[in-house]
Amino acid sequence: MDTLLTQILNSLFYASILFLIACGLSLVYGVMRIVNMAHGSLYAVGAYVAAWAVGLVASYLHVSLLLVLLLIGAAAAALAGALLEPTLLRPLYQRPEEYQLLMTFGLLLILEDLMRMVWGPYPLTASALSEFFPSISVLGATYPGYNIFVIVVGGAAAVGLWAFIYRTRFGILLRATSQNMRMASALGVDVKRIYVQAFTIGCLMAGLGGAVVMPLSGAVLGMGVDALILAFVVVVIGGLGSLEGALVGALIVGAVRTLGIMYFAEIELAVLYLIAAVVLFLRPAGLFGRA
Amino acid sequence: MPEEVSRRDFLNRLGVTIGAAAASAGSLVVPTPAEAQQSFQAKGKVPTTPYKTGHMTFFTGPAAVLGEPSYKGHILAAEEINAQGGLLGKRKIETVKADEAAGTDANVKELRRMKLSEKIDCFTGVISSGNTPALGPVAEELKTLTLFTDGCTDFLFEKAVPNPHYVFRVTNIQSADGVMAAIAASMAWPKVTKIAHIHPDYSYGRNAFDHFNIAMKKLSGNIQVVSEAWPKLGTTEFTAHITKTISAKPDLLFTSVWGGDYIALYKQALRYDLFKKMKVATTLAFGVVPQAIGKDHPAGVVAGVHANYHFLYPAGNRWLPNAQFVKKYYDRWKEYPTFESEGAYTALHMLRVAVEKANQLVGGWPDDQAIIAMLEGLMYAAPAGYTYIRPDNHQGYKDALTGFLVNSPDYAFPVWDLKRVITVPIRSITAPPGYPKGEPTTTYKWIEETWPKSA
Repeated sequence: MDTLLTQILNSLFYASILFLIACGLSLVYGVMRIVNMAHGSLYAVGAYVAAWAVGLVASYLHVSLLLVLLLIGAAAAALAGALLEPTLLRPLYQRPEEYQLLMTFGLLLILEDLMRMVWGPYPLTASALSEFFPSISVLGATYPGYNIFVIVVGGAAAVGLWAFIYRTRFGILLRATSQNMRMASALGVDVKRIYVQAFTIGCLMAGLGGAVVMPLSGAVLGMGVDALILAFVVVVIGGLGSLEGALVGALIVGAVRTLGIMYFAEIELAVLYLIAAVVLFLRPAGLFGRA
Repeated sequence: MPEEVSRRDFLNRLGVTIGAAAASAGSLVVPTPAEAQQSFQAKGKVPTTPYKTGHMTFFTGPAAVLGEPSYKGHILAAEEINAQGGLLGKRKIETVKADEAAGTDANVKELRRMKLSEKIDCFTGVISSGNTPALGPVAEELKTLTLFTDGCTDFLFEKAVPNPHYVFRVTNIQSADGVMAAIAASMAWPKVTKIAHIHPDYSYGRNAFDHFNIAMKKLSGNIQVVSEAWPKLGTTEFTAHITKTISAKPDLLFTSVWGGDYIALYKQALRYDLFKKMKVATTLAFGVVPQAIGKDHPAGVVAGVHANYHFLYPAGNRWLPNAQFVKKYYDRWKEYPTFESEGAYTALHMLRVAVEKANQLVGGWPDDQAIIAMLEGLMYAAPAGYTYIRPDNHQGYKDALTGFLVNSPDYAFPVWDLKRVITVPIRSITAPPGYPKGEPTTTYKWIEETWPKSA
């Protein structure tokens, strides 16, 4: 029983991280029709900047204040997004998709190398943050308090993003642009501005994901590529361009992976791709995708 | 009915030493890095063209935490040799580097390119066990003198390159990892029977799993595997693996997770109180640069170093090659060396010694055949201890070792408890030359067939 509950919490924890990575990828595709291959690298930027910022001031500040520094990681990724969209992506919208893929893939490689140049080849850690939350006892099992914090952050991000897109004027413009960019533009929507804002929000979510996961797993070279692959699995299941899809996809992947580890340890590697394959076979556009 | 002996007799028979003076030289005269160079006089006319080495290791991705120290060890040795004028005092070593993270196929192409267009004289490095079996046969085909400094799978010289001529490997064989962890665990915790495993799902993890289990069966009698988890290499999210492991209520967790993955694993395991609930043995907790592991890591864990080298051992000034190496390495790079640094450093110095010996025999610059003849059977006083190249399979042999983690006020990171370092002569835990080949490795078969069961 205690194991079951712990594993459910583990699934939610993993789903939270997956959602934070995947929602931005999906949002950017939904609005701009761009598959951002560098999305995982922005997640890594969030982790590295947060680890660096925490390391810089860890000895001066109380741990609870360090939590605020996680937002610096998210902000750094958002800033990178705000700079990258107008300079590198905007000139390519009129071109075929291959150009955008090549550009964002090149960006992935450059960001990976930049992170190595700036922060070196060794992992950065800042586990004071995860130690700050005491482990709690759930039906006799020990569960890390920080993981609960991550679940709360993931949940809050989902609710916040939903409210933002469905309950604000900006959200209406965003959805209008997503549904028909030309018509929105003809009606006076500043599409350029919507694009840069959507891209920045996408990067912000990725950076937030990287920052909150950093106290548990460190900032490691290559984490962005790994995250990108997982995000793709999530959006393939949920449907590229759909926020609900990203949320449901993340929950499914979180739960199935945990089940796989628990009962079919040997096929852990394959299990995520198997679900993705099944979904692609039954619903090629994903569960919530628009064909 | 297999022979039964007491565990203590059995360990004595293996030649297990704990925290004692290893590297007792006896009457062997073996060159050490510093002495040998100063007294050397080259015979005949040696050209002054640079000697080009190609060093391949991980510079990007999660394995850079192993690759960077490998490169630093290589460069340190090259700088030392070049400070003496180069190989034979004449040929300066130049290094072309290549990123192993490019993938196996690209690595094979890169080796060809380095040989054919960069005209390297010698190929060194390589960390992944997935890469050495692909690169070995190509190096033979290209007739490129090759000194692998890791990529230590048993498969390389058993199957991929069964009759090596140009290819050597200076670091210990992979099967030693699992066996050493089993020896340490069975000595420290003789009552352990229920074992949980967490391993990266590729050849290295499988190898560690197999050899730990077979050695543990022989050393501790009837063990029972109560939980297995096979995370993908590069995973940094282990919560479900940890919960599964704890729920199986094992006495011992054995894990070969390494690099950034291990850092994530231990930090997350801490929060679940895993270390309070079971004993833990690893093959590579100390494989990364020392400062990458925090002092929050619980003490008493078997902290493996790939059965190769930890910078504190042999300790103090008892073994000059290590004392000198650690000091030079620290002065040069402002960090302590790892087993990867030691392997890359030792490979280049063994090459130097072989070239010098060959020069004394043939005069002038010796050709590869003469260098190979000298490398075969070479015994060298490396920082880790005596390293010997077995002529029949070109595999480097030295004492395998592992230790227990302790937090000492002298260092900003955890280190080995020097009173409890465990060393075993590698011949005691590896199939002898000529032993019939078997599955999954010859050593596995040899342990299964010849080791007594200790009672």
